Amino acid sequence: MPFALLQTQLPPENLPFLFAALAVSWAGFFVYAFWISRRQQDLRREIDEIRQTLDDGKDGG
Amino acid sequence: MVALEHGGRGKTVSHGGKFGPRQVLLILAGVLLLADLYLMLMVAPTDSVLGQVQRIFYFHVPMAVMSFLAFFVVFLASVVFLVKRTPFWDRLAHACAEVGVVLVTLTLITGVIWARPIWNTWWTWEPRLTTTLILWLIYVAYLMIRSYAPSRRQGSIYAAVVGIVGFVDVPIVYYSVIWWRSIHPSPVVGPLAAADALNSTMLVVLLFSFVTFLVLFVYLVAERMAVRDAEDKLRDVRLALRRSQAQT
Repeated sequence: MPFALLQTQLPPENLPFLFAALAVSWAGFFVYAFWISRRQQDLRREIDEIRQTLDDGKDGG
Repeated sequence: MVALEHGGRGKTVSHGGKFGPRQVLLILAGVLLLADLYLMLMVAPTDSVLGQVQRIFYFHVPMAVMSFLAFFVVFLASVVFLVKRTPFWDRLAHACAEVGVVLVTLTLITGVIWARPIWNTWWTWEPRLTTTLILWLIYVAYLMIRSYAPSRRQGSIYAAVVGIVGFVDVPIVYYSVIWWRSIHPSPVVGPLAAADALNSTMLVVLLFSFVTFLVLFVYLVAERMAVRDAEDKLRDVRLALRRSQAQT
């Protein structure tokens, strides 16, 4: 029975799903890395506040 | 980057932005992610049955495997923590559990997106998906236990127990496609993978993806551990400060 190759690729309708999955993955990692970075900034601010309190304490007595 | 140091009788607190191993890991992870993106989109061949959407495989599978690795480290670190009670192991377990939850969340979401065009449904209660969702719930519970425990120490101990018991679900997730009738594809990595499961180019791209996600995983765990370390030390300094203020 003769074999006829009808198409070499699937239709590209699947591409939006591929890019959606890629976008979600990258966004997920960025959001998590951003959250860690924000937490570091908060800690830095708290450290500065404690430093200020300690400096004020030294100056006061 | 934040760093707190205990010094001498008093406690000194310092922070700076020097270029350290974590920054090297960040740059390496960024470069590898871009290279991986190029390889999975431009070099890896298009699957003859599933089409373009099959490329999700090059980040869906490595994220799933890295989450297994994360929970394995949680398991080991929890055992060592319960024996030695050293804060380092608790911090390691906490960081790995959190990064593991991020990885499983993304694995589930990318799986759902992949399922829609291939299985014609977003979600089905088949064994691999269900056991993975249970895995996600276990480690979300692990993080909640840490947050809601009466004290940090109790939270660490309760979480360590959950981290050990919860790991039982990891082999169940892996073997679920063998033990029960499932529409999920069979494993392509690990002891159950067939020798010719992938063509050679696909295998190379997949291995590259594993390395990329391993570096990303190590970077995120290192950053999270640094934050947790700083939180712990800052809490100690705050306590000391409060005590000294109460005495004066």
